[in-house]
Amino acid sequence: MSDELRSTRLSGADVASFFKKYMMLIALMAVAVFFNFATDGRALYAQNITNLIAQNAYVFVLATGMLLCILTGGNIDLAVGSVVCFAGGVGAVMMDKNIPWPAAVLIMLVMGLLIGMWQGFWIAFVKVPPFIATLAGMLAFRGLSNVVMGGYAYSVTNTTFLNIFGGGADCYIPDILAGVGPEMKAGDGTVLNKFCLVVGILFAIGIVVYTILHRAYLRKHDYKVPALVSTIIKTAIICVAVVWLFYKLSAYKGIPTALIWIGLVLGLFAYITTKTTLGRNLYAVGGNEKATRLSGINTKMVMFKAYTLMGLLAGFAGVLNTARFVGAQPTYGMGYEMDAIAACFIGGASAYGGTGSIGGVIIGALMMGVINQGMDIMGTSSNYKLVVKGLVLLLAVFFDVIMKMRKKGGVKA
Amino acid sequence: MNNYSLKNVLKKNTMIIVMFVVYIFFVITTNGSIFSPSQFTALITQNAYVFVLGAGMLMCMLTGGNIDLSVGSFVCFIGALAGVVSVLKQVNTPLSLLIVLIIGIIYGVILGYLIAFLNIPPWIATLAGYLAFRGAGTEILTKVSTTSAISNFPEPLLAMFSGKVFETPTGTFNIPCIIAGVIAIVAVIVLNFKSRADKVKKGYEAPPQGYVIAKSVALALVIGLLTYMFALDGGIPVVLIWVVAIMLIYNFVCEKTVIGRHFMTVGGNGETARLSGINNKIVMFAAYLNMSILTVIASLMVTARFKAANSFAGQNFEMDAISACIIGGVSAYGGSGTVFGMAIGAALIGIINLGMSLMGIDQNWQKVVKGGVLLAAVVFDIWTKRNSGKK
Repeated sequence: MSDELRSTRLSGADVASFFKKYMMLIALMAVAVFFNFATDGRALYAQNITNLIAQNAYVFVLATGMLLCILTGGNIDLAVGSVVCFAGGVGAVMMDKNIPWPAAVLIMLVMGLLIGMWQGFWIAFVKVPPFIATLAGMLAFRGLSNVVMGGYAYSVTNTTFLNIFGGGADCYIPDILAGVGPEMKAGDGTVLNKFCLVVGILFAIGIVVYTILHRAYLRKHDYKVPALVSTIIKTAIICVAVVWLFYKLSAYKGIPTALIWIGLVLGLFAYITTKTTLGRNLYAVGGNEKATRLSGINTKMVMFKAYTLMGLLAGFAGVLNTARFVGAQPTYGMGYEMDAIAACFIGGASAYGGTGSIGGVIIGALMMGVINQGMDIMGTSSNYKLVVKGLVLLLAVFFDVIMKMRKKGGVKA
Repeated sequence: MNNYSLKNVLKKNTMIIVMFVVYIFFVITTNGSIFSPSQFTALITQNAYVFVLGAGMLMCMLTGGNIDLSVGSFVCFIGALAGVVSVLKQVNTPLSLLIVLIIGIIYGVILGYLIAFLNIPPWIATLAGYLAFRGAGTEILTKVSTTSAISNFPEPLLAMFSGKVFETPTGTFNIPCIIAGVIAIVAVIVLNFKSRADKVKKGYEAPPQGYVIAKSVALALVIGLLTYMFALDGGIPVVLIWVVAIMLIYNFVCEKTVIGRHFMTVGGNGETARLSGINNKIVMFAAYLNMSILTVIASLMVTARFKAANSFAGQNFEMDAISACIIGGVSAYGGSGTVFGMAIGAALIGIINLGMSLMGIDQNWQKVVKGGVLLAAVVFDIWTKRNSGKK
């Protein structure tokens, strides 16, 4: 049998490893299907799909930052919820005082960055255990947000700000192709946003082109090329999912601006974690800190940068959150750290550091979002939501640990 | 090297000195109102849970800087459960106590198993509990009551965890309290001198006579002051007995028993401990089982103090317990720490909280100060260790 043939055939072992690799993706689909039945199909309404993205924008952004921290060795940031609230509060108060929104957004980001540097300093250079340093931050910034807002809620009325950062009624990309060609309608008669559909299709084509080029690149440089069949299946599934998502979005109001921000953040950090020195250093530090240090990498600086970026992203989540809720309140952002941490672990990040990916974060954040929203639509009380979230988090880690034990061939004595 | 030179004694007792300085600061800023019998009682009753949870957290932290984030939520959950069992189902007090204790043990066993035997990082396992128990506790309370609280707890249960022993009206001297105080002073002095005599007899390095006398006088003064204040305010608070008993038991376990020393060994160097035949997993398991049981006691104290189970009970308790340990000099990396240090940390937190409330500082700034104190304590700990390492 020639090599070419063997590589294009799927053996039983391949199928098993495929399931193992995409376990969480399959679980995500199962959960989505479950909620679809439990809510009589309401969970997959175009409006609900749109809300799913808009409401959980902060999970994507925070989980991205949390991934960086977790990669460095299972370190976490418990302060993000308070930082989101604090940054949002500062911005909302500024806009309330008629300071132009770009300045307010800039200050929010700078606030997040400074807080990140502050925590990073203690964690990386003074070696304060991360959970303690960020626990202190969690208390302090929650208190400070109350101080900044004086215990009041502030609302933001600047529609430009709201539209750009995904809040209010019009935070969608308008259909610039509305007048071009015939009007398109979905099965139930809703007018489709053509621009949104076109973007979705272009995006899918882009993925196909990238996959083909990537395979060509691998072959040219004599790297191991994955089996053709599995590549085709994988690409097809992703493309179908993307087109379906954009179809759903187009049946509501089009692309929510929050989605663009999520896409930018995820894209940027997918690049940073996989292609840049800093990104690879994060994995190295988490895999074996001592070896990394001895090979000449400044591990303290890597740690510092991880927390600085986390702070910046928390500041940005504060911006998105302020827009989403059309204002700020001293109670916002409570429990966000849990959502972010849970999203990372559900997405396969190791609690001991060194493994995890942005792709996983997307799946984890979607899982949290689907669960949150599904239970909302079912009318489950917020108390049960907490219980379910806790159990999902535990299950995800449990699963991760069990998988690793199997791989090692038994429990270490 | 003289371990008992003035400089070394001061260095060893930095936190006690800090506590006195802070206390005097608040006496001045509150115009002396913190230095009154009712505030002494308040200091103990409001912070009893910190001592109890701190003892549990200490055992967890000793094993390697591990923590339990779920204690606050579990306090809420157990409170709700106790309410359902003893108020709504009218179960008698001993049986209700037994039921909540068993629930606590079950949670402790599960948590200990996940952490010790499945190697799930403690903060993740307890984070799950932090979420789940807050949700479950709130759900129970909102289901059974429109105000999300259960009150009207039976008198025997309240009496076990709140109120005063042999209560007398405020302002009159409470005789049992004074007797207890005198006994405590005598006991402390006798123990101090006996411990020195034992050390001298066995040829260990013993503190000089003057040091023992000074220490005894200082302790006698503190106990005397507390006795005087409690006697004027109606007697010894019941929770004080719980706190003292738990402190004494855990101090004994940590300092004098094999299992207690194992906690330190595992935290000091897990691999060495394992190779020298200690079952690390059992030690870890015991730490979390113990934590859950103490959480049940803390929960009952808090419930009895408010005479109700509330959905917001226990919020941030985990922070208070962790802060008490860290401020009390327990290493954030495990392996070192004492019950006495933790108790000083808990008292310091209590004084800061009470002082700030009396000064009328608002809740938000209090949070900021708490966070700042926690961070300062760790940094102080790390820096002093680094300096002593250099020498």
